Amino acid sequence: MTEKTMEHLLLIILSMLVAFGPRFIPLRIFSTRDIPKWFNEWMKYVPVSLFTALVVKDVFIDTGAGYVFTGIHNMAKIIASLIVIAVAYRSRSMGLSVVLGLIAVTLLAMVFTV
Amino acid sequence: MLEVLKIALPLCLSYIPIGLACGILLNVAGFNVILTGLVSILVFSGGAQFLLASMLTANAPMHTVLIMLFFLELRYALLGSSISQYLRNTSKKFLYIFAVSLNDENYAVNYLKFATDKSWTPKDALMVEHYSLLFWTFANIVGSLIGNLLSVDLAIVDYALTALFIYMIVMQVANKLTIVVSFVAAVFAIISMVVLKSTMGLVVSTLLASFVGFATEDYLVKHGKKRGFLLKKIKPKASRRVISKSGDN
Repeated sequence: MTEKTMEHLLLIILSMLVAFGPRFIPLRIFSTRDIPKWFNEWMKYVPVSLFTALVVKDVFIDTGAGYVFTGIHNMAKIIASLIVIAVAYRSRSMGLSVVLGLIAVTLLAMVFTV
Repeated sequence: MLEVLKIALPLCLSYIPIGLACGILLNVAGFNVILTGLVSILVFSGGAQFLLASMLTANAPMHTVLIMLFFLELRYALLGSSISQYLRNTSKKFLYIFAVSLNDENYAVNYLKFATDKSWTPKDALMVEHYSLLFWTFANIVGSLIGNLLSVDLAIVDYALTALFIYMIVMQVANKLTIVVSFVAAVFAIISMVVLKSTMGLVVSTLLASFVGFATEDYLVKHGKKRGFLLKKIKPKASRRVISKSGDN
């Protein structure tokens, strides 16, 4: 095995632990006890905040140039994102949203900057 | 067993295109077929695997990748605690196995089945998880294999992750406050990433924005505005139509 493969293997094992903790610990605790209300109320807004931040990073931030705000430069991704929002809202299908999003961004990239 | 497969099938099929894209990206990031299969089984999270791929391609240091991953996976704490009420009389070993392959989509299917079907057992729920795991891993491996054959434009395939997250945001929208929080998170994310010049900006903005949401809701509820403009329910959180297609009555 090469050094790179070993490093990736280590990363996978650590990732598994990082992924397993949040899945298992609350399941274990709350299958015998009640969930504290404040915990649920706070956790409720974590996914939407994180997903938004990740989308913003891809669409509006140029990480290669040292985290610069790009405004409307990535027009292809901005328009594709609006399409994905519409598709997700109407179809509520994950597969369709992703596939149409990919097709949209591929076609739009021919006209606009990605 | 086939009854459960019928319920899990729409979910399993929707995993194929995403799994393929994910396998291709992991291949570009330097994962071989075995590693791709392994990460699909052990981590089993579309978001996490896409993130791994894009951060490895960007040469992010391992601790940054793991911190981001932790925050990304933190949402499972919410899913796990909300489904735990249905898993009360199960063994510790069962919970362990259940937790390993819990993810957003099989949670959505199982939660709705538990809530609407009295005969739905924890064993059925685990089977849904395993069916989805099987399809996901298979699609990833195939993606990894074809990733070797064709050259892909990374900026474009990378967008699969963004599309996936946009889908998940839309699915999270329960009231107008969620939309407000999303915009607040967007502004915080831009400011904190530009200022901090790193992905730590994602962590900072997530903590700030979720706190704003939590505090606003708390304020509104305490002031008797539970049915007001911001907190009025828009639509159910889980996708009814997708679930009903999956063999639910």
